[in-house]
Amino acid sequence: MAPSDKQSGLVQGTLDMLILKTLALEPMHGYGIGVRLDQISRGIFQVNAGSLFPAFRRLERDGLIKAEWRTTDNNRRAKYYALTAAGRARLARATRDWETQAAAIARILRASPGEI
Amino acid sequence: MRIVYRLFSGLRALLRKDRDELELDDELRAFLEADIDARMQSGMTRNDATRAARAHIGSLEAVKDHTRDAGWESRLENVWRDVRFAVRGLRRFPGFAAVAILTLALGIGANSAVFSVVNGLLLRALPVTAPERLAMISTQHSVNEGYGAGWSFAMWDQFHQRAQLFDGAIAWTYLPQRFDLADTGESEPADGLFVSGEFFAELGVPAFVGRTFLPEEDALDKAHEHVAVISYGFWQRRFGGAPDAIGRKMLVNRAPVTIIGVMPPEFLGPEIGRAFEIAIPIGSAPVILNEPTWAKPEGRSYLAVMLRLKAGQSRDAAAALLRGMYRQIVEAAMPRNGIWGVVQDDMMKDPIVLTPASAGTSELRRQYSQPLLTVLAIAAAVLLVACVNIANLLLARATARQQELQVRLAIGASRWRILQQMLVESLLLSGLGASLGLAVAAWGSRTLVAQLSTWFDRIVLDVSLDWRVVAFTATVAIATGVLFGMAPAITTFELARHGGGRSAIGSRSTDSRRAVVLRGGLLAAQVALSLVLVVAAGLFVRTFQKLGEVPLGFDSDRVLVVSVNASRSTVDAANRSGSYAQLVEAVRAIPGVTHAAASIHTPMNRGVTFVGDFRSVSGRDLPLTERRSIVNVVTPGWFETYGAAIKAGRLIQDFDTKSTPPVVVVNEAFAQKFFGTPSVVGKYIAPEIRGDVDPPQPTLIVGVVGNSVDQSLRYEAVPAVYQPLAQFSRPIPMTEFSLSIRAASGSPAALTRSVSAALTAVDRNLAFSFHLLADQVRGARNQERLVAWLSGFFGVLALLLAAIGLYGVTSYIVARRQTEIGIRVALGAQRADVVRVSVGHTAVVTAIGVVVGLGAAAIMTRYLKALLFGITPLDATTFVTASAVLATVALLTCYFPARRAARIDPMIALRSE
Repeated sequence: MAPSDKQSGLVQGTLDMLILKTLALEPMHGYGIGVRLDQISRGIFQVNAGSLFPAFRRLERDGLIKAEWRTTDNNRRAKYYALTAAGRARLARATRDWETQAAAIARILRASPGEI
Repeated sequence: MRIVYRLFSGLRALLRKDRDELELDDELRAFLEADIDARMQSGMTRNDATRAARAHIGSLEAVKDHTRDAGWESRLENVWRDVRFAVRGLRRFPGFAAVAILTLALGIGANSAVFSVVNGLLLRALPVTAPERLAMISTQHSVNEGYGAGWSFAMWDQFHQRAQLFDGAIAWTYLPQRFDLADTGESEPADGLFVSGEFFAELGVPAFVGRTFLPEEDALDKAHEHVAVISYGFWQRRFGGAPDAIGRKMLVNRAPVTIIGVMPPEFLGPEIGRAFEIAIPIGSAPVILNEPTWAKPEGRSYLAVMLRLKAGQSRDAAAALLRGMYRQIVEAAMPRNGIWGVVQDDMMKDPIVLTPASAGTSELRRQYSQPLLTVLAIAAAVLLVACVNIANLLLARATARQQELQVRLAIGASRWRILQQMLVESLLLSGLGASLGLAVAAWGSRTLVAQLSTWFDRIVLDVSLDWRVVAFTATVAIATGVLFGMAPAITTFELARHGGGRSAIGSRSTDSRRAVVLRGGLLAAQVALSLVLVVAAGLFVRTFQKLGEVPLGFDSDRVLVVSVNASRSTVDAANRSGSYAQLVEAVRAIPGVTHAAASIHTPMNRGVTFVGDFRSVSGRDLPLTERRSIVNVVTPGWFETYGAAIKAGRLIQDFDTKSTPPVVVVNEAFAQKFFGTPSVVGKYIAPEIRGDVDPPQPTLIVGVVGNSVDQSLRYEAVPAVYQPLAQFSRPIPMTEFSLSIRAASGSPAALTRSVSAALTAVDRNLAFSFHLLADQVRGARNQERLVAWLSGFFGVLALLLAAIGLYGVTSYIVARRQTEIGIRVALGAQRADVVRVSVGHTAVVTAIGVVVGLGAAAIMTRYLKALLFGITPLDATTFVTASAVLATVALLTCYFPARRAARIDPMIALRSE
C-alpha cells in the first residue's frame, strides 16, 4: 500500500469505515472528505490523496457509495460521493463490530493480573 | 453477492477505461483546486498555495496508479501487458524461442500422447448409461490370477433367471469370435460376439440405424431366422453406409443371418481395445458354431456376465446375495454325476466376487498397463530434461538482462511485479509449447495404438482428446512453466534483494558465483537424467534382442499354418480322424510341399492350449499341483514339418494306429521334470483325469524331442507330450484343427492358393484361414518391440536435449570469457590452456553428471526387472555403452566452441570489451 497509510496508522478497512461515516452525515467531494476526517479526528488522521482515491474507487466498486458531478460553492465542478442503501447497512454493521472489538480489547488491557 | 457485484463493476470498468481515466484526471484537478482555494483562504498567495498543494498531493501519476490498482481488472491488464512484453521479447530472439517451444512441444506432446493411450485404455469409461452401476461376476481365484471369469451357458441362464434381484444382467462371449463371412473355401474373417438379448438395452446403447435385439430373439432352439446387429465401421466398409443394409441377409459361418440394426459409432464393445463388427444373440450360437451341445454343461460356452446393480445397491451387498444362492445356482446348472461332482465342489470353493466394470473388461489392459505406465514415467523424465534445458537457457538470458532489471527496480517496480512478469514469460513459452504439443500428441497416440496391433489383435482404442487429456496437458504445461521459470526467478529475487548495488548501470555484468554453480548443477542434472534414460533404452533394446535370440526349437521360416474349421463338414465325429488324415495327404501331394501334418495345436497360435496332468511310472513322485504338461495331438510328419530335433528314440509314424499299443513322444523338459533324466525311452506315463471312473492305461514313451517355445518366448522349457491323432481314444469333438505345411523353398505364402484348392477339393464345407508361422513368431515379441522402440525414441530425444544444453552453455561460457581468453593468449598461453579454460567447466560438469546418472540408474532399473529378459537390471554392457555414448556426445558438442576459443585473436577480443 502507499507509504502514507503507514504514517497515519490506518488499516485499509478502517479508512473505508471512516469515509462511510463521513458521508453518512452529508454527501461531499474528495477534498472535503479529507478535510472533514482531519477536523473530526482533531488532526490525528491526516489522510492524503494517495490513500483517499483508491478508497473511493474501492467503495464505488463495491456499490457502497455512488458518485455524481456537481458544482461546488466556489462554482467549480467536483465529483460528489453519497452513501447508498448498501453503504448505510455496511456502516451500521461495521460500527457495531468495531465497538464490540474495541470494548473487548479495552477489557483485556485494563484487566489486573488475577483476571486473565 | 459482493463478489458478483465487484465482478460486474470490474468488467464495466474495462469497457469504460478511457472515460474513467479522463474522469479521474478531472477529479484530481478538482481536488487540487479545492486545496489551493482552501490555502488561499487562509492567507497564502496563489503561487505559494499552488506549490504547497502540489507538494501535498505528491506525484499525480502515483496517485492515479494506486487508484487504478484498486480494482481487480487492473491486475488483469498487468498480466496482458506482461504477455505482450514477453511476446516482443521472444520475437527479438527467434532462435531461442524456436528451440524452446519445439523442445517443449516434443516433451509435452510425448507425455500427452502416452497419457491419451493410458486414458483410452485405463481411465475412460464405456459410452454406456451409468457405467458405475455395472459389475462383472467373477470369482476369487480369477481375481487373484488377474483375469476375468467365464461362465458356462447353464450358469448364465441361472444368473439371468435371478436378474430381478438387480437391475438386470447381460452376458457376452468372453473370447472374441472369428466369424467367417465367406460362402466357401478361404475364410473372410470378421470379429464378432454373441450377446444376450438385453445387451444393448441394459447398457443403454441405442441403435444408430434400425433396432437392437428383442429379448425373444435370444432363444436357444430357434428354428427361424437369426438376426445380427453390426458395427458402424462394418456398416460403412461393407455396405457403404447404405440405409437398405437393414433387412439384408449375409452368411455368418455359412448360416443366413438378417441384419436388423447398426451400433452407434462411439460404441466399440464391452471390451476396451477390441472392436467387434457383428453381434448375434447367444441363442443362435449352437447353430452358427455348428455345435449342438454348445449350451449344454459339457459344451464350450464361455461367457462373461455383467450385472447392473440397483441404484444404491453396493457391490458387496450384491455379491453377498449371489453367494447365498450360489449352491442352488450351481446345482441347477449341472448334473451331479461323475466329473460334475468334482466340478461343483471346485466351484463352491471359489466364492463369487463382483468387480467394477465401468471401464469395461480388458485383456489388453492387463497386458499393457505396466509397460505403458513405465513409458509414461520415461516420457516425464524426458520432459524434465527439457525443462532443465530451458531453465538453463533462461538463466543465461536473465544474467544478460540484469541491466533492464535494475532500471525497473530503480523506478519503483516491486519484486513481485517483476516475478509476475518472469512467470508470465515462462508460462507463455510452456503454453505455446503445449498447444503445439497437443498436435504432436494427437499424431503420436494414433501411431502408438497402431504399433500395439499385431496380426491377431486388431486394437481399436479411442484416443481422441477428451477433457482428461486436455486437463493433463494444461497441468503439465503450467507445471513445466513454473519449474523452469523458477531458476531465473530465483536469480531475479536475489538481484532485487541486493537492490542491484553490485554493478552500476552501463557496465558489463558478471556472473555471480552462485549463478555459475546453479547452471552447472542444472547441466549435471540434465546429463544424469539423460544417462538414466539411455540406460533404460539400452536395457529394453537388449531385452528385445535377447528374446529374438531364444532358440525356438523349430524352423519358423518355412512353415505355413492353416487353421481349419470343419464345423460344417458332413463327416461325423467317429470318422473325423480319417478325414483329417485325408486332408494331410491331399496337401502333401502339392508340388513345393516337403512335409505336412495336422495337429490340434500349433506354437504361438494365441489360442487355447491343451494341458493335462500326468503321472510317471517309476519316475519322480511329483506333488499334485506340479503334474501339468502341454498336450498336443499330431499326425505323423509333424516334427519333420517343424524341423524339431529328435534326441532319442523315434518320432510318431504311420504305423502308430488304433490297433497298435498307445505311444507318445515327449520333449526334454518333460523328461527332466517327470523323470529327472533325458533317457526316458521305454518308460511309461499315464494321464490323470480327475473324476474318471476307469484309470487310463499307461502309455509308452517312444521318443524324445528337443524343447520348443510354445506361446511365450520367455518360457522356453515347457514340458510337452505329443500323441498320435490316430490313437486318440475319444471320438474327436474338435472341429477346429491346424494343418502345418512346410515349403521346399521360398516363402510358404506362395502355397496358399494351391492348398486352398486342394482342401476345397476334398471337402467343400471346410472353412480355413492362413497364417505364416514367421508372422506369429514376430507377433510374440510385440510388446517388447514397442517398449524398445519407445524408450529408444525417448533416449535419443533426451540425448539430443542434453547435447543442446551442453553446447549452449559451453558457447555461452566461451563468449563470456572472450576477454579473459584474449589476455591469456596475449600473455603466451598455449592452445591446450585455452581449451582447458573454455571446456574445463563443461567437462567437469559432464563427469559429475555421468557419475550421478550411473548411480541413479542403478537404483531405478531395479523396478524394471519384470519387463527385462536375459539381462539383469545392472547389465554391465548397457551401463558402459550408455556412459561411453554420453561422453562422446559431450565431447562432440564441446568441439565447436573449443575450436572457436582456440581461434580467438587477442587483439579483437581485447578491443571488444
